[in-house]
Amino acid sequence: MTYISPRFLLFACASLLFLTACDSSDGNDDPVPLNVLTAVDVEADPAVNIDPNSGRPVGNGLYTLFDLDTGSIVLSSSETNLAVREQDSVSTAWDIGFQSTTIIFNGGTSGPGQGTAQLLTEPFSAVTEAPETGYVADGANTSCPAVQTPGGTFPGAPFAICTGSDNGWYNYNPQINLVSPLAGRTIVLTTGEGNFAKVRILSYYQGNPNPPDASVPSRYYTFEYILQPDGTRSFESTTAD
Amino acid sequence: MLLPYSMWLRLSVGLLILALFVPEVQGQASVEPARSDTTIREVEMAPVVVTATRSVKSLEDVAVPTTVVTAATMRQQGAIRLSEVLAALPGLQLFDDHGTGLQVQGFSPDYTLILIDGEPVVGRTAGTLSLDRLAVHGVERVEIVRGPSSSLYGSEALAGVVNLITAAPREEVSGLVDMRAGSFETTDLSATLEGGSSWGGVRLFVNRYASGGYDLAPEDFGQTAPSFVDHTADLRANATVTDRLRLRLGARLAVEDYDGNYATPNRADGGEIRFDDVGQRTDWSLHPEAELRLSDRFRLTGILYGAGYQTKTRHRRQTDGVTTYADDFDQRLLKAETQVDALWSAQHLTTFGGGLQEETLGGDRYDGPTGSPAATQGWAFVQHEWLPSRRVEVSASARLDAHTDYATRLSPKLAVLVRPTERIRLRASIGSGFKAPAFRQLYLSFTNAAAGYSVFGTTRVAEGLSRLEAEGQIDEIFFAPSNLEPIRAEQSVAYNVGGTVDATSWLSVSANAFLNDVTDLIETQPIARKTNGQSVFGYFNLARIYTRGLEAEATARPFEALGLDLASQLELSVGYQFLQARDRAVVDALNEGTVFGRDTNGRDYRLDLSDYGGLFGRSPHSATAQLTYTDAPRDLVVSVRSRWRSRYGYRDLDGNQVANRDDEFVPAYALFDATVTKGVPVPGRLDADLQLGVDNLFDLTRGVLVSSLPGRRLYAALRFSL
Repeated sequence: MTYISPRFLLFACASLLFLTACDSSDGNDDPVPLNVLTAVDVEADPAVNIDPNSGRPVGNGLYTLFDLDTGSIVLSSSETNLAVREQDSVSTAWDIGFQSTTIIFNGGTSGPGQGTAQLLTEPFSAVTEAPETGYVADGANTSCPAVQTPGGTFPGAPFAICTGSDNGWYNYNPQINLVSPLAGRTIVLTTGEGNFAKVRILSYYQGNPNPPDASVPSRYYTFEYILQPDGTRSFESTTAD
Repeated sequence: MLLPYSMWLRLSVGLLILALFVPEVQGQASVEPARSDTTIREVEMAPVVVTATRSVKSLEDVAVPTTVVTAATMRQQGAIRLSEVLAALPGLQLFDDHGTGLQVQGFSPDYTLILIDGEPVVGRTAGTLSLDRLAVHGVERVEIVRGPSSSLYGSEALAGVVNLITAAPREEVSGLVDMRAGSFETTDLSATLEGGSSWGGVRLFVNRYASGGYDLAPEDFGQTAPSFVDHTADLRANATVTDRLRLRLGARLAVEDYDGNYATPNRADGGEIRFDDVGQRTDWSLHPEAELRLSDRFRLTGILYGAGYQTKTRHRRQTDGVTTYADDFDQRLLKAETQVDALWSAQHLTTFGGGLQEETLGGDRYDGPTGSPAATQGWAFVQHEWLPSRRVEVSASARLDAHTDYATRLSPKLAVLVRPTERIRLRASIGSGFKAPAFRQLYLSFTNAAAGYSVFGTTRVAEGLSRLEAEGQIDEIFFAPSNLEPIRAEQSVAYNVGGTVDATSWLSVSANAFLNDVTDLIETQPIARKTNGQSVFGYFNLARIYTRGLEAEATARPFEALGLDLASQLELSVGYQFLQARDRAVVDALNEGTVFGRDTNGRDYRLDLSDYGGLFGRSPHSATAQLTYTDAPRDLVVSVRSRWRSRYGYRDLDGNQVANRDDEFVPAYALFDATVTKGVPVPGRLDADLQLGVDNLFDLTRGVLVSSLPGRRLYAALRFSL
C-alpha cells in the first residue's frame, strides 16, 4: 500500500489552491470525521431497594430511554409517573433503552420509531461501515438462543440484541457475581429516525471501574458510540452539519 | 459397631458367592514368575509397588508411569501430611478448592483416587479430598500412578491413583514418639506402639495435629485458614493363621474440629455482619482382608471394606448467636471384593476379581421424600500380564462397572514395557478412565429460596419437576425429563509414552508424554423456566477437554560421578512438567476467531490460541529441584527442596471466560523448603533424632489467591524410638 504523508497532502492542497482553489471549507457536502462519543453512567433501573433476604437489587422494573443525537436521557428509569412515561416512550426522540441487562431500540415492539439493531462479532474500531442488512426490530428476532439444552435450542425473548449471558452483549459469571461486557462485540443500530449508529458497552457498573468490580452498584451503563446523522452507513465521516 | 449388621451380612454373602467362582487348581511351580538373575538383582535394588497392577511388582517392571516416595524420604523432608509429601514431587500440583487437593496431569482433585492399602478414602468437599486429612506416620511408602487406572480401580482413577501403603508391624515390641511444633501455633504429637511375633503383629498409632490457622487478608475480618484440632487413631494388624492363610486388619478414625469466622457485607447499613464458622469432620474406615494361597499358583484375596465420612457445619451470627446456616453430611460405603491371582506359567499371570458396593448418603442437601439416596454398584475386572521375552512385558486389563444411577461402562487398558538394553526401559500405555457423576449430579434436590432457581440431580429431576409443576411454578418445560438419556460417567482416553534411561550408575533420566482426551464432562443446563423467571437446572454430559504435556525427571549422585567413595552421599534431582489443559469448545471458538479480549486500556482485540491461558489453575510450566545430603557417620541428613510454577489463570474480567489478560493470572512463584535431621545421642535403649525445618524460606505469599501459602513456617521436631 502506498503511504501518502499528511505533509504531502497539505502540499498538494496548497498547490491546488495556488492554481485554482482548494475547496475544503466552502462547500456543505464535504465530509468531516465522526467522533466517538461516550455516555457515562446511564442508569438502567438501578436498585432502589435491596431484597433483605437475598441481598439482590430490586429496581422499578422500568427502562431508561436515551437519545444518541443529543447524548442525553429522554426518560429515566427513576421516572415512575406513568403519564410522563407514556408520553416519552411513544416518541421517536429516543434511540436506545436500558433496563438491567436488557437493551431495547425504538422500533418493533419497543417503540414507534424505525429502530432496529444487530450484534456484530467485531471490535468497535473495526466497524467502519454499518452492514447493509441483518437488522431486526425488537420482537422480531427469532434467532435468540435464550436456552440451549441437550434437547434443542429454545428461542427466548425476541429482542434484537438477545438477552441472557453470552447470548448478547455480556457474560455473567455467577462465581464472582460479575456482569462483564463481551469484548469484540459491537451493536450496530438504526435510530428512531432511521440513522445508523454503532455502540460498544464499556461497563455495567457505576463509575466504570477498571478492572470490573461486582461490589460497585450495578445497572449503570457506560458506553461509547458513533452516530452517523446523514443517513449513510459510514462511521468514519459525515456530510451532515 | 457403626454398621448395620444386616449390611455386613449381605456383603459377606456376596463375597462368598464370588469366592465360589475360584477354579479348583493345582500346581507346584513357584509363586513368583521365574526371572533371570539380572531381574532379581534389580528387584533387590528397586522399590516394589502394588498400585499399578494390583500385585507386588518391582517399580522397574511397571509399564505405567509410577513414582514412589519412601518413609525415609518423607522423614528427611519433614513431611507429616500427605499434602506435604506430594507437593515436593515433579509434575504434581496442590490445588486449593475447599481443601488442599491434588492436580495430576492437569486434572482437578476429583479425578484422582486416594487409597490407603488399596482401599479408597471417602469424603470429598466440592470434589476435593483434602490431603491435609491424611497423616503419613506409619506409611511405608506412597505410590503415585499417573494416567488412568480405571481398568483396575474404577471411578475417580482417571488422572491417577495415590496409594498409601502402611508398613507391616514389626516383630519386636517397639515404640515411637514424635513431637513437632512450629509457626502458626502448629503442633503435631504422635505415638506409635507395635509388636508381634512369627504369627503376626499389631501397630497402633495415635496423632494429634493442631494449628492456630492464619490470616492472609488482615484488613478484612475473618481468618483465611481456621484454627483446627485433628485427631487420628490408626490400627494395623496381621496374622498368619496357617502357612496358606494370612489375615490383615486396618482400622482408622480421624476427627477434625475447626473454628473459623468470616463476615458478609451488611447492605442495610453498609457495614458487615460477622459469623462464626465451626464444624467437625469425621472420617473412619475398617478394612479386614484375608489372603488364601489355594496352591502355589493361585492366590485368593477377599476384602471387606467399610468407610464413612460425616461433616457438621454451623454458621452463627456473632451478635446474637443465631445459627444462620447448618449443613450435615453423612456418607457411608460398604464394599466386598475378591481378587484371584493366577500364575499360569512363568510367562502368564492373570489377576481377576469383582466386587459389590453399597453407598448411602445422608444430609440436608440429599435427603429426599423417599429418604436418603442409596446406590449399589457391582464390578468385575481382569488383567493379564504376559512376558513374551525377558525384554518385553505386556499388561492388558479391563473392568466393567454397573451402577444403579448411571450408565454401565467398560474401561480397558493396555500397557507395554520394553527393555532394549539393561539400562533402558520404555513404557507405553493406552487406557480409559472414568469418574462417576458426583453426588450432587445424581441426588441433589435444591431450590435457592433467595434467588428462586432450582437444581435437580439426574435421579431427582422427574420427581422435582412434576412437583414444581403441580405447585404451578413452571412456566415452560423445555423438554420432558422422560426424554433424557441416562447420565454417563465422565470419561477419558489417555495415552502415556515414555521411558527411563540409567545413563550411568550415578545418573538416571526419565520422561513421559501424556494426552488425556476427556468427554462427557457434566455441566448444568436449564431444563425449564419457572414462573418467577428463574430456571430449573439439570445435569448433562456436555463438555470436552484435553490435557497434554510432558513430565521429565533426572536424578544424579555427583559424589559417585566424581569417583569419590565417601561415607556421605549427595543426591540431586530435578523435574519439569509442561502442561496444556484446554476446553475444546474454547479452542474451537479461538480457531474460529470469535473470542475477543479487552485489555486494561479498554481496547478490544481478537484472541488466538496462543493467548489462551488454559483451564483455570493450571500452570503451563512447573519445575522442582531437590538436594539431599546424607552424612552417615554423623547421622545427619540435609534436604533442600524447591518448586516453581509459571503463572496460571484464576478469573475472567472481560467476559470471554478465558484467562487472557495479566490481571486474570496468579503470577509465577517459587518456594524453597529445607530440613536438617540429626541423630542425637541419648543413654539407654532410646534412639532420638532432632529435626529443624523451614517451609517457604523466602516468605512468599500470593494473598488469598493461594490460600494454602501462609508464608514462612519454621518448625522443630523431636523423635524418640524405643
